[in-house]
Amino acid sequence: MFPLVSLTLFLPLVGAATLIVLSGLRRLTPRAAYVIGIVITALTLLGVVGVWLRGVGSTFSQVDEVAWIPSLGASYRVGVDGISLALAMLTALLFLVALIFSSSLTERPGSYVALFLLLETSCLGVFLALDMVLFYVFWEVSLVAMYFIIDGWGHAGRQRAALTFFLYTLLGSLPLLLAILALYLGSNPHTFDIRSLVASPPLSGLAATLTLVALLIAFAIKIPVFPFHTWLPAAHVEASTAGSVVLAGVLLKLGTYGLIRFALEMTPDAFRQAAPAVAVIAVFSALYGALVALAQNDLKRMVAYTSVNHMGYVVLGVAAAAAAVDPRARTLAIDGAVLQMISHGVVTGALFLLVGMLQDRTVTREMGAFGGLLRVTPILGWSFILAAFASLGLPGLAHFPAEFQIFLGTFQVWPIAAAITVVGIVITAGLYLRAIQATFFGVVPERWVHLPDLGHREAWTIVPLLVLIVMLGVAPRALLDVIHRTVELIAS
Amino acid sequence: MQMQIGRDLSLLLPEIATLLTAVAALVAEMLRRPRWALILSIVGLLIATGLTLPLLGQETTVFMGTLRVDTLSTWAKLILLPSTALTILLVWPEVRGTDREGTVYSLLAFTTLGPLILAGAGDLMFLVLGLLLSSLGSFALVAYPRDDRATEAAMKYFVFGSVTGAIMIFGLTFWFGATGSTLLATLGRLQGNSLAAIAGLIAVLVGLGYKGAIAPFHFWAPDAYDGAPIAVAAFLSVVPKIGAVFALAQVVGSLPAHVADWPLVVAPLAAVSMTYGNLAALSQTNMVRLLAYSSIAQAGYFLLAVTAIGQSDLAISALVVFAAAYAAMNLGAFAIGARISRDLTAFVGIGRTAPWTGGAMVIFLLSLVGVPPLAGFVGKLLLFGSVIDGGYIWLAIIGILNSVLSLAVYLRIIIPMYQPAQSVPRASRPTAIVWMTAFVFTIGLGLGAQLLIGRIV
Repeated sequence: MFPLVSLTLFLPLVGAATLIVLSGLRRLTPRAAYVIGIVITALTLLGVVGVWLRGVGSTFSQVDEVAWIPSLGASYRVGVDGISLALAMLTALLFLVALIFSSSLTERPGSYVALFLLLETSCLGVFLALDMVLFYVFWEVSLVAMYFIIDGWGHAGRQRAALTFFLYTLLGSLPLLLAILALYLGSNPHTFDIRSLVASPPLSGLAATLTLVALLIAFAIKIPVFPFHTWLPAAHVEASTAGSVVLAGVLLKLGTYGLIRFALEMTPDAFRQAAPAVAVIAVFSALYGALVALAQNDLKRMVAYTSVNHMGYVVLGVAAAAAAVDPRARTLAIDGAVLQMISHGVVTGALFLLVGMLQDRTVTREMGAFGGLLRVTPILGWSFILAAFASLGLPGLAHFPAEFQIFLGTFQVWPIAAAITVVGIVITAGLYLRAIQATFFGVVPERWVHLPDLGHREAWTIVPLLVLIVMLGVAPRALLDVIHRTVELIAS
Repeated sequence: MQMQIGRDLSLLLPEIATLLTAVAALVAEMLRRPRWALILSIVGLLIATGLTLPLLGQETTVFMGTLRVDTLSTWAKLILLPSTALTILLVWPEVRGTDREGTVYSLLAFTTLGPLILAGAGDLMFLVLGLLLSSLGSFALVAYPRDDRATEAAMKYFVFGSVTGAIMIFGLTFWFGATGSTLLATLGRLQGNSLAAIAGLIAVLVGLGYKGAIAPFHFWAPDAYDGAPIAVAAFLSVVPKIGAVFALAQVVGSLPAHVADWPLVVAPLAAVSMTYGNLAALSQTNMVRLLAYSSIAQAGYFLLAVTAIGQSDLAISALVVFAAAYAAMNLGAFAIGARISRDLTAFVGIGRTAPWTGGAMVIFLLSLVGVPPLAGFVGKLLLFGSVIDGGYIWLAIIGILNSVLSLAVYLRIIIPMYQPAQSVPRASRPTAIVWMTAFVFTIGLGLGAQLLIGRIV
């Protein structure tokens, strides 16, 4: 069969290599760099859509497999199921959008685009890998690429933020390596094949519990969940806009994806026992993220903290699925969790872009400095309002079907937890209304009267996301169908 | 008997070729032809490497069990001989035109014999011989610049070496006394004589720990590396270290754990060496000293696999793969260090003004951290795998925390590299060949790990 999955996966890497060679030969104009980058990411998106059109079943399909280190049982194995395909589509879309948005940037564009493309391959690789070593390879490469993106093109305090990000997330990824080794040594015969480890979880008893703890630490740092979230605000505030879009939209999902693929599928029994504890942390994390976001005056920081809140819902959903006995409740919870990942990627991506557009115009992100901008930049303003309403969970917009299913699934297991968490939505509503009020309503300060509204480049980035936000809210079925078949298999 | 000697000698062809190389280089130097010495020594070492290839897969001993031809010793040759050839190429621009330049090449080739013998030691006497051979040449190499710093460094190195060497010989007499033999294979006879077993073990750890720069026997290393030419520092951090670690593996592999519970000693040593090396490296402002402390930490990683010997099938592959990876990435880092400067502040902006060199340095350093898909990652994957398999999860966790610490260490070099630029010294061509070779291996060993692992039996 035509290896479309592998081609799509490595297309960005090929693009990155091309850019490196061209800029090494000093034959690269900034314009050419962005054209190459945008064309490559667009083709990648097409490739992912092609994978979708070829049909994705409940279990892993379109598998490409080549022996890599047969002595250890590690192979190059990639393939898709419903969950990984959905996340791969999100990844391809957000990278395209991020590069279109960045195309006004003039500082070392060759390296910038190359790093983004490298990051795209590594993120896609994490979602598509069916081998634990391969998964870990892509996982780590994503850290390195993101480190250099924050370090090279961020704002004033970027070096410190990049350093924190790299050290902190490496600290998180090494327990993952331990867990992978434990799963490998526990399997018989020894294998790194995710498919067989999912089909028959190898560990039991104390070994499974310890492995789960390592996995939870690794993913909690990545997601991030309280108390491991402290790297996130710094990284977001200092990263460039496109960097933030990718960081929040895609990189956080690596953690939640791992939570489902590894913790839920490979150590299910241990996770069932640990689920109440995970749920407590998730609920706390969701509320904490919302409350801290409420206290922010920096718009970007605020959006960053709402990520902690939204990711808390995802973790809660997965925990509920781990604990639930009824397969319908399990299905609901995981469906909701996966859909929440996609919604969060689209919505938060849009919000970071809009905050970035404001910052490009005004060189500030303090909401106190704005006011009445809806009259000055109506398109930007209404876009922000739409995205913000989606983020607070308004019915008819992206987050609603996801959060609804998560709460429904959780309610059947832990009614009290679900009830407490709903408070988070109220807080989120409050904080977004406050931000909209301060930024877009009221009196326009004199210096902002002549701000330009969205240009073509900006419209090209934000409109697709807004359309998706509405579509995900009105007709989540199209996407949910893909996810649902796989989820049913996991839940049963 | 004659046939026996003929067979033994044929199995020792790589060692003999190395010795002849050293002699040939020395003769060329006597004829005042340093360029010949350079070429002869590099070609000779490569020939010796080629002569090692037929030995792959052999498991035997020569000279009545005193020298082993096995996985460890054969791979030690395949890794260390080309590494020495690369260091000779690297030292060339540093010593070119100096008085008695050819002796450096000759000494490097000659000194490599010591680690080779160590890695294949099947007998206590060969352990001592290998240690002395690698020490004597190293003292002279460190002292070669003949300025105050080099002399001081060599002096420290020498005094430390004499004391630890004496301790080792003294301790080994316990083993000899208790077993009546100097063969490692007879160490099982120490059963029931735990005092002698432990005395000998500690002595071996002191002696080999010194040679491998394992904390707490490392004190000479930063000074010696910093006083010596950078290429000699690169040599010391790779060749004798790997020889010593492999020798330790030979010794503990022959020492049944029920005779002396050696993992109980080796495991803490691994933890201390990793942690101390990384913590000390964090505060360095001199590139060579930073890499010196980092190599102390890496020695601790080597000990992870030594701890698991006999308890995990992965241990020997882990040692060999990590040794190959370490040789490539460490030589690469030193080669680029030799190009730029000893001073960390000189690295500012390298990544922007010299993107290829900068990129390669980033690759070497990330590989030292263990970031995939580079060589260091495959090595560490096997190292961690072997200790977990051997049942030392706590040691794996310490190793992993140390990887994070080591990232902080290496970022001290990487961060300034991508700050706004200064001027960069021109590269000399030999240095570029060295780092490019190391670069190819650092990436190739990561992606094509099977090529190596599949050949380790």
